Formats: sequence, C-alpha cells, structure tokens
Amino acid sequence: MTQTAHPELEGLGNYQYGWSDSDAAGAVAQRGINADVVRGISALKSEPEWMLDLRLKGLKLFDRKPMPSWGADLSGIDFDNIKYFVRSTEKQATSWEELPEDIKNTYDKLGIPEAEKQRLVAGVAAQYESEVVYHQIREDLEEQGVIFLDTDTGLKEYPELFQEYFGSVIPVGDNKFAALNTSVWSGGSFIYVPKGVKVDIPLQAYFRINTENMGQFERTLIIVDEDAYVHYVEGCTAPIYKSDSLHSAVVEIIVKKGARCRYTTIQNWSNNVYNLVTKRATCEAGATMEWIDGNIGSKVTMKYPAVYLMGEHAKGETLSVAFAGEGQHQDAGSKMVHNAPYTSSSIVSKSVARGGGRTSYRGLVEVAPGSHHSKSTVRCDALLVDTISRSDTYPYVDVREDDVAMGHEATVSKVSDDQLFYLMSRGMAEDEAMAMIVRGFIEPIARELPMEYALELNRLIELQMEGAVG
Amino acid sequence: MSTETLVATGNKAHSHGPGSPVPLQARSERPTSYDVDVFPVPNGREEEWRFTPIKALKGLFEDTEPTETPKIDASGPERVTIETVVADALKVLTPQDRPSAIAWKQSPSALAVRIPNEAELTEPVHVNVASLGGRGYTHLIIEAGRHSRGLVIIDHTGAGELASNVEIKVGDGAELRVVSIQQGDHDSLHLAQHDSLVGRDAKLKHVVVTLGGKVVRINANVRYAGPGGDAEFLGVYFAEGGQHHEHRLFVDHEATNCKSNVLYKGALAGDHARSVWIGDVLIRAAAEGTDTFELNRNLVLTEGARADSVPNLEIETGEIEGAGHASATGRFDDEQLFYLQARGIPEDAARRLVVSGFFNDIIGKIGVPEVVEHLHEVIETKLARTAELSASAKAALGQ
Repeated sequence: MTQTAHPELEGLGNYQYGWSDSDAAGAVAQRGINADVVRGISALKSEPEWMLDLRLKGLKLFDRKPMPSWGADLSGIDFDNIKYFVRSTEKQATSWEELPEDIKNTYDKLGIPEAEKQRLVAGVAAQYESEVVYHQIREDLEEQGVIFLDTDTGLKEYPELFQEYFGSVIPVGDNKFAALNTSVWSGGSFIYVPKGVKVDIPLQAYFRINTENMGQFERTLIIVDEDAYVHYVEGCTAPIYKSDSLHSAVVEIIVKKGARCRYTTIQNWSNNVYNLVTKRATCEAGATMEWIDGNIGSKVTMKYPAVYLMGEHAKGETLSVAFAGEGQHQDAGSKMVHNAPYTSSSIVSKSVARGGGRTSYRGLVEVAPGSHHSKSTVRCDALLVDTISRSDTYPYVDVREDDVAMGHEATVSKVSDDQLFYLMSRGMAEDEAMAMIVRGFIEPIARELPMEYALELNRLIELQMEGAVG
Repeated sequence: MSTETLVATGNKAHSHGPGSPVPLQARSERPTSYDVDVFPVPNGREEEWRFTPIKALKGLFEDTEPTETPKIDASGPERVTIETVVADALKVLTPQDRPSAIAWKQSPSALAVRIPNEAELTEPVHVNVASLGGRGYTHLIIEAGRHSRGLVIIDHTGAGELASNVEIKVGDGAELRVVSIQQGDHDSLHLAQHDSLVGRDAKLKHVVVTLGGKVVRINANVRYAGPGGDAEFLGVYFAEGGQHHEHRLFVDHEATNCKSNVLYKGALAGDHARSVWIGDVLIRAAAEGTDTFELNRNLVLTEGARADSVPNLEIETGEIEGAGHASATGRFDDEQLFYLQARGIPEDAARRLVVSGFFNDIIGKIGVPEVVEHLHEVIETKLARTAELSASAKAALGQ
C-alpha cells in the first residue's frame, strides 16, 4: 500500500491513543492496597456506612481468594505497584468547556463531543482515571424518568434503588477481581430505564486511563425495567507507559420481564493494560440481553460477559470479536447460564491473531436441572494470518438437564494464498487485500455495531493489519 | 487541574508482588510421569477428574499390589510374534494420571504383539483381557513394523477393577487398525490409557467400542513420529442406567503435514446413564500443514441421562490446512416419534430406526465385519431393554 493512498495510515501500526497528558494527580497517588486506602476512598466520596463495610469485605475476599488457576498468564501484575485511586478534577463538568484543558483535548482526540454534537447518542459520560469528569443526558429522556449518572452520584441520589441492586448480580466474592473492584470501585455508569421506555439511540460512556500503573475500577449498574429497552456503548483507551496498568471493572445488569438490553464495548486499551473484567446480566421471563464485545487492545484480556437466564423464554446473545497482535493475549468468550425452562442462548465468536498474538475463546454454557427445552448454540471462528500466532478454543459445557439441545462448532482457518492472489490480481496491494479479508471475516459482528463504532473497528483492524504481511 | 490524594500510611500487612503462578497455557503442559507420586489422589475438582465418579474408583487410586492377575492372552496369524516383555520395552506411553502410573508400576511385564516389517496380515490378531473380580493391571504393547498392515482386536470382559496401559507404535508407512471393545459386567470398573505413535506416512485407525461396565474411562493420546501421518479415532458408546462411559482424547500435532480425524458417537438410555467426551487437539508451532477435525454427537433416548461433550482446540501456527470441531447433544424427541408413528411405524421400531440411522455412518467407517455384527446385536439388545423401560414407565403413569 502506498502511503499517499492512505494518508490516515501514515506512521501507524503504532497505538494511536498512546499520548499521555501531564500527570499531576497520578504522580502523588498512593501505590498498593490496604484497609486504609479503602477507607480513604470511601471517606473522600462521603459514602454511607454499608458501602464502606462492603468495600472492606471486598478487600478481605480479595486477599483471601487465589489467582485464577486457569486462563492467561497474570504473573506480571504487581498489585503493590498499582495506584488504586486517582482523582483528576475537583467536580464533574456538565458542559464540555468546563473540563480542564488536557482532559478536554483527550476526549476531543477520541471524538467524544462530536458524537454528542451530532446527536448520535442520547447521553454521554466520560471517565478519566477513577472518576467521571463529564456527563450529559438528553432532556426528553430525563423527563421520561431515565436515569443516566456516574455510579458515585447514583449512590448519592438514589440510595435505595442502588442498595437494592448493587452486588445483586455479581456478589462481592464472585472472583478475586470482582472482590478487588468492590473494595476500590470508583466511577462507572448508573442507568435506570423505567417501565416501557425505549431509549432509541445509544447511551455512551468513554473510559480513559492516563496515569502510569493506574488501576481503573469502574462499576456499572444498569437496570432495565419491564418492557423497556436501552443500548449502552462504551469505549476504552490508555496511554503507553513502560510498566503495566490494571483495568478491572464490574458491570451488573438487571433486565426485567420482557425488557431488552444491548451492551456494546469496543475495548482498545494500550498494550500494557491488564484488562480483567467481570460482566454479568440477569434476564427475567421473556427478557433479552445482548453483549457485543470487541477486544482489540490491552496486553491481557480475560473477559467473559455472562447472561443468567432466570425466567421462561429469556434469551441471551453474545457476539464477540477479538483481535490479538504482537504481545497480546485475548482470552475472551461468554458464559450462558440456563436457569429456567424454554430459555435460549447463542454465542458467536470471531477472532484474529497475528504477529505472535494469541486469541482464546473460552466459554461456558451451563444448564441447571429443570431448565428443560433449553437451547444453546456456540459458534467460534478463528482466522490466523501468519505462522507465529496462536488460537485456542475452550468451550466448556455443563448440562444438568437432559431435555435440551446443544450445539457447538468451531473452525480455524488461515488466509489462503488463493484469496490474496485473487484480490491482488485485481490491483490491490497485499496488505490492503489482507485487511479486506479480515474485515469480511468480522463483518457479521461489525454490522451489529453503531455506525461510528463499526467504522472505528474497521479502522482499528486496518491499523492492526499494518505490516502484517511481507 | 486540582488534585487530591490519599495519605500513604504504609500498611503492608500483605503483599501481592508479581509472580503469581502461571496457569497451564497448553494441553501439553499437564504432567506425565512414571512416578505415581507425581499424581496425588484426585478429589474430583481437578480439570481431568471433574466429570468422573471418583468415589467408585477408590481402589484404583491406591498404590498397592494387585489382588488378582487378570487373564490376558493373544492369538493371531503365524507371522505375528506374541511374547511377554519387560514393561519399559517400548515406552511410547507415559502415564497421564494416577491409575495409569499405578498400572505401569504394578505390572512389571507387558504382553507384546508385534507385526513384522512389510507383513500384510489377512486375519486379525485377537487379544482377550478378562478381569476375574479382583483389582488388577495389564500392559499391552502393539507394534506394527514398517510398511506392514494389520488389525488387532482387544476384547475386555469380566467383573473386576482393571487399570490398563496400551502402547501402540505404527512404523513408517504401515497401516494399523486397533479395535478396543469394553464390555465388562455391570459393576466392573475399567480405566485405560492408550498412547499411539504414528510413523512417517503411516496410518492408524483406532476404534473404541464401549458397551458395558459401571465406569469406563479411556484416555487415548496420539503423537506423530514423522510427517505425513494419518490418525483416525472412532468411538461408539451406549450407556445405560447407572453406567458412566468416559472417553478422552489428546491429539498432539508436532510433525508437519499430518492428519487427524476424530468421530465419537454415543447413545444414552436409562436413569443416570452418563457419558463424557473430551477432545483435546494441540497443533504445535512446528506442525505446519496439519489437517484436523473432531466431531462428537450424543443421542439421549430417555429422561434422566446426561451427556457432556467438551472439545478443546489449541493452535500455535497459522500454516495449517484446516482445524475445527463440532459437538452436539440432541434428544430422541416426540416429534420424530410422531412423524414415524404417523406413517404406521410402531414406537419400538421407530426408536430402532432413529438409533440405527444415528450410528450408521460411524459403523460404516469401522469396517471390521465381526465387530460391526457384534455391535448391531448389542445395540438391538439394549434398545429392547430401553423399550421395556419406557413401556413400564408409561404403565406406571397409567398411560
């Protein structure tokens, strides 16, 4: 590909969001975690007693729980070297101009205010380090009773709703990283959609880590009341530093009777972020949960969005796309738990590994006793574009009920010389042809994304494919 | 930008420094050893034991002298040598779990069946293994010389607790078929490890037919000694009430241009009938040109039965011909039955039709007449029992 034909790709193959802003807040934040750090975070936020107790319980469980005995190599994480809370600005801005200059520039570069200006989204939240710095929601939605706040404000303004649902989907001690999140969580989104309200354009959040060795532990809680609908979209970036950062979020979603929730993530952390996230939704009767999960960035990602199907005819769906380049391990997949009769789930996973990167599909489909007439299909496709990359498929299945239909299929293929030759004989450069094949491979998932995210995904893939051949 | 920080108090009661233990990153990293102590007695939570009813297997986890010597004999065409050899005569197999390591240690000799170079056998070699009611161990070696052709049928019967090791070496250019039939009594236990090494341009067809026994667990592993090897793994099982049939495979591709194809099909009928199928495939970085596919299908015939099916695939190079797996578990459902009954076919016959249709393709691939015939007979008997069961269940419900 000639540089002139694609000026936007010039000098790329590098991480595009790798700049860092001046870091006065991060430089002085304490490293390591103990009960005093947890108490301090809670005090700073003037939280109610029950939350502090929960945080301390989380810390205890974090200390006690072992590291996972499966999955990716996490031996590089130094929990003592992480800054668990970094505050970057005194108060939350409601207009873009109020934001400190360098934070504003960051989000301008990421294209956030534009999306809002063009009204592509119904609401925007931007989290910088530990806290949400900017927040906006469309007035008509507010009038309908839709709540879209950062999680800290959510706790202050809706304490009852909050206490009822917080930790109800993912218990404190669910796993080591959920326990850690519970003890030091800060920021995230708090959403409530009242009965029957359909939010027609997405609510959007953007997360950014700026400080070196920073841990970002946002906590998102979404409640979709009966027959309501919401689509929530989040994106993530971080600068490149010499040593590693940690992102360990917890996302809890409650989808009530007949409601539907779609959650889209395009994760593009820089290649020194450990991304260890617990995401889980519960679906009541007739409800639908859809995870659209894109993993492009990070050093190591372990993320398996889950749906617990608790009522008859509930439905869970995951579309997952993972892209691993040099030095990256994307251990992603999904978990579906059938806990009621006539429930159905489907998982479609597409992954591409190149440059020595590794993608692993890891899934679990569980059918509890009594969940008769459940159906599940899992389909994983992996594409390998060179000889040094690695792709794995680990589809765990645990069926405790006999009256079910289960299917699993996986294929792993390489980009064939024939395909490349065909495109190149039509005048395409080799890497252009390669990028086109990869785009075609993930198209079934890209087309489910909001327009600007689909474009973003395609662009990220082009960047990732830069230098993939030759 | 204003900043606020927490005051450091320096409380360092606990430490989470880097260097937490790294989880196993590939199937090949699981321990293998001739030393029993490498494998602690399982508690049922281990990945390789979590599906197995370990309580029933207690005796086979004890590293003590056998309480019986199982009967093992072989017969075959003249050119085949059959003799007793020392245990470490071949060492294609390295135990992967405790029972296999115990079996290795507690059976100081092995029975070796050797097909000479370039011999083309027209008659099969028969190996009979019978457990008499105690706890015993066997060790069998099967070696097919260069460019030979042969068929070995191993028949397991009896009532006791048996742990066995089977080593299979297929010489360069040879073509070997091994059929292992498990049809122990209803309360017998049988754990086995079969390790195969496929030579350059050699072909192995490994067939497992599991029809009886309270707990049967077979670990079949294959490696390739050179390029161009081709291994086909076929399995048929039919678990009835109270039976546990478990089949585990590990195909380890390290040589270039080798093929592997796994096809296992099972039916389940009766309360607490249980089957487990685990299919692991690893394509190492050096194994360019590999072509692999795995398929497992389960047919659940009555309520109360359960089938687990887990295919795992690890691929370390993109220079492959193709790789994939598929698994599905379905039921003999009322719709199929209704469809056939509407065409005047009685329930028993309808069930038989669906089951024989289900097994048809794999039985065709086995291609050993005496095995196929026997298989048909046993399936018929089992189906008759299933029909009786469902008839009495219906009678009990007053239908």
